[in-house]
Amino acid sequence: MLVDESKCVGCGNCVPVCTMGVISIQNGLAAINQDECVECSTCYRVLMREDRPPWLVRSIRSILSALHLTYDAPFGVCPTSALVKPELTWPRMVRRAFSDVLEPHASTGIPGRGTEEIKTNDVTGRLQEGDAGFVVELGRPGIGARFRDIEKFAMALAPLGAEFEGKNPVTSLMTDPMTGKVQDDILDEKVMSAIIEFKVSQDKVPAILSRIEELGGEIDTVACIGIGARCDSGRIPYEEAVRAGGLTLSVNGKTNLGLGRVVPKEASR
Amino acid sequence: MTNTLHRQGTRENLAGDYVIFSTSAAGYNKEGCAPQIKQFYQIVLRHDPVNVGGINTGNMTKDGIENILQRVNDATHATAVFDNLDTLAKVVQELKEADLGFSINISGLIEGADECCRKAGLVRHSVEHSLGYVGAVNRLPERPVLEISTMCGHGMVSFNLVKKMIELVKLGKLTPAQAAGQLARPCECGAFNPKRAEFLLEQLRNMG
Repeated sequence: MLVDESKCVGCGNCVPVCTMGVISIQNGLAAINQDECVECSTCYRVLMREDRPPWLVRSIRSILSALHLTYDAPFGVCPTSALVKPELTWPRMVRRAFSDVLEPHASTGIPGRGTEEIKTNDVTGRLQEGDAGFVVELGRPGIGARFRDIEKFAMALAPLGAEFEGKNPVTSLMTDPMTGKVQDDILDEKVMSAIIEFKVSQDKVPAILSRIEELGGEIDTVACIGIGARCDSGRIPYEEAVRAGGLTLSVNGKTNLGLGRVVPKEASR
Repeated sequence: MTNTLHRQGTRENLAGDYVIFSTSAAGYNKEGCAPQIKQFYQIVLRHDPVNVGGINTGNMTKDGIENILQRVNDATHATAVFDNLDTLAKVVQELKEADLGFSINISGLIEGADECCRKAGLVRHSVEHSLGYVGAVNRLPERPVLEISTMCGHGMVSFNLVKKMIELVKLGKLTPAQAAGQLARPCECGAFNPKRAEFLLEQLRNMG
């Protein structure tokens, strides 16, 4: 994201909205740390653009300031529409793809984080009986991650038998999905978060969990871990393996109700 | 999609936080599914959800119901949030009867979702749990901030915005409901639960 300095009046409304906390007011104007900005466009989208003339807003603020009064723009607006959403080129454009929730991933066509995980498992059958599906989301919540860290996880998990999901935006950026190697030219790019998605057989769950714990000590960001599976006969198959690994299952999570079905093309027309 | 897996909270305050959402799958049931997605919205709207939205439709707070319905297309993944299990169970029953074709998931207490399934005569197909965080957890803010912020799974509700709203509520410049409304705006797909945010902000105000 960019700031049009000819328009910005330094009201500061964009500062708390920034998901990465990288907008500050410097010399009376909003300044964005470009290396840390993940191009999520939240500031641009959430603040209503008022298009007020900058000279007018600045004049009012100056006069009120001289009178020891203040004028703050109402919260939730950019009074002069000073934020500019730029066209991005490679490799920076991967930031927006992984951070702007409205940007569909080119590789999967799915917006958001670009993954379906267990959400369509009743239709696609991606996870079969005996499989455990992992989602390792680096950078979340609220810290962000570089692809260098994402690659570190992927390359460490691949030798343990992790079978990376083909329809996943991170997998699509691997030069070799067998090893988890990610394209070199994006390794320094920062994104809000990215999900490494893979499956293993249930017996490998303890080894995967143990390795993920170790990897946590090697990164300067956070990763949140999810595990999913088919619930044949209503049972949760990984429950014992997780507890044996000293971890606790969350009380909340996702449940696929099993209402999906394949709709023949002629029926959908 | 909603990515609601890692909502933080206690069993007690998560009891008022259930997200139900549709997910279509390309090549299986996505093509031509827009009318059924509208039907999904019509069903959930009959039950007074605390939030409704979708990634490419916007959310109830920022965009309004009419705009959401107008923007529906085959790619829409629809979301609705409910603050109690009884209502959710009725919604699940209606969705089952409507037989919309695409996948339906609930994000919330696993035992609550299972109860809804059983009431509707369904056996849950798949489940997914959070195993928490690894890494530089010292960089994360205090728990109340996380509990509110993680209600937007895509991370659009920043830690600093939550902190700002807590501050304004404590100063008496915003009511918890007003602050919750501001917090719901960035969450495009409408998975944020403003009722729960209001409850949490109220608690924080009372704690001083």
